[in-house]
Amino acid sequence: MAETTKRQKLKDLILEVKNITKEVNSPEGPLTIVKDVNLSIEPGELVSLVGPSGSGKTTLLAIMAGLDLPSAGSITLLGSEITLLDEDQRAQIRGRDVGFVFQSFHLMPKLSALDNVMLPLEISGIEEAQSKAKEALISVGLEKRAQHFPTQLSGGEKQRVAIARAMVNKPKILFADEPTGNLDTKSSSAITDLLFSVNDLMQTTLVLVTHDLALAEKCSKVYELSEGELL
Amino acid sequence: MIRGLLYGIKKFWSEITSGDLLILSLAIVLSVTAISSVGFLGDRLQSSMKQQAASILGADVTLRSASELGSDYLELAKIHELETAETVSFLSMAIANEDNLLSSIKATTSSYPLKGALIISTVNGDKINHKGSPRSGYLWVEKKILEVLELRQSSQLIIGNKTFIVEGIIQEYPDRNSGFFGFYPTIIVNVDDLAEMGIIQTGSRVVYRNLFAGTGENIKNFLNSMQDMPAEIRVQKAEDAGEGLGKALESSTIFFNLASLFTIIISVITSMMAVRRYAARNLLQTSLMKVFGASKRFILGSQIMQLTLMALLATLVGLLGGYLLQFLLISALQDIINTDLPPPSFQPVILGFVASFCVVFGVASPYLKILSESEPIRILRNDFSIGMTRNLMIYLVASATMLIFLMILFKNIELILYIVGALIAVTIALFLIGKGLIYGLSFMQLSSGIGWKLGLKNIAKRGHESILQIVIFGLSLVFLLVLAETRTDLIDSWTDRLQEDTPNNFLFNIQEYDLENISEYLGNTADISPVFTPLIRGRLLSVKRASPELLDSENVMEREANLTWQEKLPDSNTIVQGSWWEAGSLRAEVSVDDSIADSMNLALGDELYFSAGGTNFYATVTSFREVSWESFSPNFFFLLSPAIGKTLPNSYITSIRIPENSSIITSFIERFPTITNIDIGAVIKQVQNTISSASLAVQYIFILALAAGILALIASIFSNTDQRKKEAAILHAIGAKRSLIFQAAAAEFLVLGVLSAMTAIIAAILLSGVIFTQVLELSYSPNPYILGSGFLAAVIFIFLAGIISIRKTIYTSPMLTLKDA
Repeated sequence: MAETTKRQKLKDLILEVKNITKEVNSPEGPLTIVKDVNLSIEPGELVSLVGPSGSGKTTLLAIMAGLDLPSAGSITLLGSEITLLDEDQRAQIRGRDVGFVFQSFHLMPKLSALDNVMLPLEISGIEEAQSKAKEALISVGLEKRAQHFPTQLSGGEKQRVAIARAMVNKPKILFADEPTGNLDTKSSSAITDLLFSVNDLMQTTLVLVTHDLALAEKCSKVYELSEGELL
Repeated sequence: MIRGLLYGIKKFWSEITSGDLLILSLAIVLSVTAISSVGFLGDRLQSSMKQQAASILGADVTLRSASELGSDYLELAKIHELETAETVSFLSMAIANEDNLLSSIKATTSSYPLKGALIISTVNGDKINHKGSPRSGYLWVEKKILEVLELRQSSQLIIGNKTFIVEGIIQEYPDRNSGFFGFYPTIIVNVDDLAEMGIIQTGSRVVYRNLFAGTGENIKNFLNSMQDMPAEIRVQKAEDAGEGLGKALESSTIFFNLASLFTIIISVITSMMAVRRYAARNLLQTSLMKVFGASKRFILGSQIMQLTLMALLATLVGLLGGYLLQFLLISALQDIINTDLPPPSFQPVILGFVASFCVVFGVASPYLKILSESEPIRILRNDFSIGMTRNLMIYLVASATMLIFLMILFKNIELILYIVGALIAVTIALFLIGKGLIYGLSFMQLSSGIGWKLGLKNIAKRGHESILQIVIFGLSLVFLLVLAETRTDLIDSWTDRLQEDTPNNFLFNIQEYDLENISEYLGNTADISPVFTPLIRGRLLSVKRASPELLDSENVMEREANLTWQEKLPDSNTIVQGSWWEAGSLRAEVSVDDSIADSMNLALGDELYFSAGGTNFYATVTSFREVSWESFSPNFFFLLSPAIGKTLPNSYITSIRIPENSSIITSFIERFPTITNIDIGAVIKQVQNTISSASLAVQYIFILALAAGILALIASIFSNTDQRKKEAAILHAIGAKRSLIFQAAAAEFLVLGVLSAMTAIIAAILLSGVIFTQVLELSYSPNPYILGSGFLAAVIFIFLAGIISIRKTIYTSPMLTLKDA
């Protein structure tokens, strides 16, 4: 009975990280950035990764999201062991079920706000991309900025567009890397509220990397990293 | 892939309007314009030249002999399904109204001419296109005969024993007589009247021609079937006749090809830089698309589609440009190519597309690989740099593609190899210079806050980027300088041929006793001091070779030879082999025009056996001369030494410049009626038109290459503008004054400009030397004006464009720049 429950729970896990280690070559020799990390995240959980600069937070986030591969260990994301998949297969999972928000926003400079939000839908070949993108912009309060280009938007507005883009294909899990790191206090607070309200509305799992302890405390689970290891 | 292609279509317009593809598009437009304009032009010129060449000859092939050809060749031609015609040419007196005129008589068969126009008009001037010969007993005359002998329609004219009736005036006819017969006005008669005229006797100077026309294949078979042709029969093909269509046209065609080749090379260089920038700017986009689930094939599809659409659009614009430019060139060259041109073929259009796609995908394919394989993790690392090691491969691939394409396109492997050799040598030289500069700078103490020192430090800091810029600047400049030198020297070499005082009238049949009177008359009436050249009418009978080597006598034939003798080498002649005779030499020597020597396979030391003034004599060939026929001075194939020349009876010839619309000649002829005058004013005008037309056409093409060169420099400057802008903004943000940033940038671009321009000048001198001597067959001496002004213009251009590329950054808030970065 206990075994069945455990198996059910594993099946229910949206993300499971097992013995992840990441090493890179440096002029001084191999450098371990993430060391033997284990963690699991259930659907709908709000998880934050905190730690000082250089502790390996962003690297761990990239590995968990399938943007990078670990040197050792395995990741099961949405039931697929992504460490066994090639880049295109991982991209397929990301396109279907994963959303991203970055510290530097990373909006496409040549595209309008609306086109930026449409991007994940167009890549996945989803129909009615425009109307869905417009709805997403409405949900972040930027419907009037739909035709503006990134250079015409403030930092806070850029991040709103980035959140709309991340949520537009209704992902099961959203990864956010320092989403307020480039914003002033006022914008930062507004973006935090927006991120959590949209997440709540769409019942998405949220994994965020942050320095901001106030932001981290809003999450249901907080992992702290130091020198690549979970404390 | 399909989704990627569709996405590419969808985002194409935003990509084009964003400007990242602009420089690449412009480079493609320019290279397609160059290829297609020269292609369209070459295509039409070639067709036109073939037509004209056949018209000049009046046939596709002719056989020419001083003795009767018989009917064998005509019958052989019939077997090969060729059309045939015959002409017989000789000189004879035409007599009418108790006056006479030495004329060139051409007796023709009824199928003459096989090619080209024979236009006859009535004496009243009504033109009629005619084919065939006049009816037996009738003849056609050139206008000069009509005027001199005061003839009218249906007047009688006697040639030999036969009296003819004048039926029409010859307005135009093909196979104009050249050489000796060419000086005399022409009369066309029916070949059936030859016997009755009774002029042709044994020993008469007659040229017999058989004319043939037909399909290329039949002509080829016909020529192959003619075995053991006697040495005195000369075969002339239409394409050989076409060679003489005009040196200016030929040289300008070489220049067009050269300019078009350079434009393509420069455009490829530009495309390399533009694609590199495009890829660097798109790395964020493709990495982000990967993050959001795009597969490698999706990225590849969208990039291929965008480049394809861009190439299509740029090719269409380029083709349009090429077509328009070709019209400009044609209108500039219309005086040279008188014939109505056939419409251009579709080939340049195909060529334009092939060129465009070769260039675009040749330079872009390695980048497409980089973009489609971009790792999504770059987004989190904010790493959007493209490594130099990858670029080396890119340039190798692009260079190989370019080389293969150019070899196919220009079909001139020798020229392409010269250019590619120069390209590699200059690239290595520029690379080493760049490397040396950076190495040198690394030893300098450049850390103070002085602007120019900061600029030099930046050059060292950018390392390979700086070297790449030196290479690109240098290469673009080399090609522009070579083209500028070629253009100037080519035009100069043409205009030098025709000075303002180029003679426009020849005076013949001057006897010794008239020399003084003529000099006095021309001096008094027109302030002209004529120079008289002896003219000896002779005939070359045979050639004897002194050495035991076998003389290839195939091209040696008995031929008319106008001779002269000279103590000094005339100004318009240059000795190319052997030496001019010493003053007072008692040997019978002859100096021969090098082209005729070539055609007769003569060697120094050969003995030519002449007949002149009733004597037969040998003269030893002691030199070959290059003759500038365009000087319009009396020039000769054979020039005798005074030792033999003075002993022969001779008249004199002179050429003089008479102002246009002057009546001097009319009064001169009244005063000296025995002297023959030939007015070559029209010929001079034609040559002048040819030169100005070819010069104008050359200018148009040069401007195109110049535009390509400027675009390459701009592309190179803008290749790392983003990085410069960011650095300038950071410096500005941490308190550097605008003047310091300005000085740093100025110093950087000045050093890059000076170094690349200096190297380019050295390389341009070497490459120009090769092109002038090997391709254009002109002598070369570096043009200090072009090189000097080219150096200054390049340094100033690179300096200004460099400053302009970052001026916005200097004058805007650093926050704005960093925020956008």
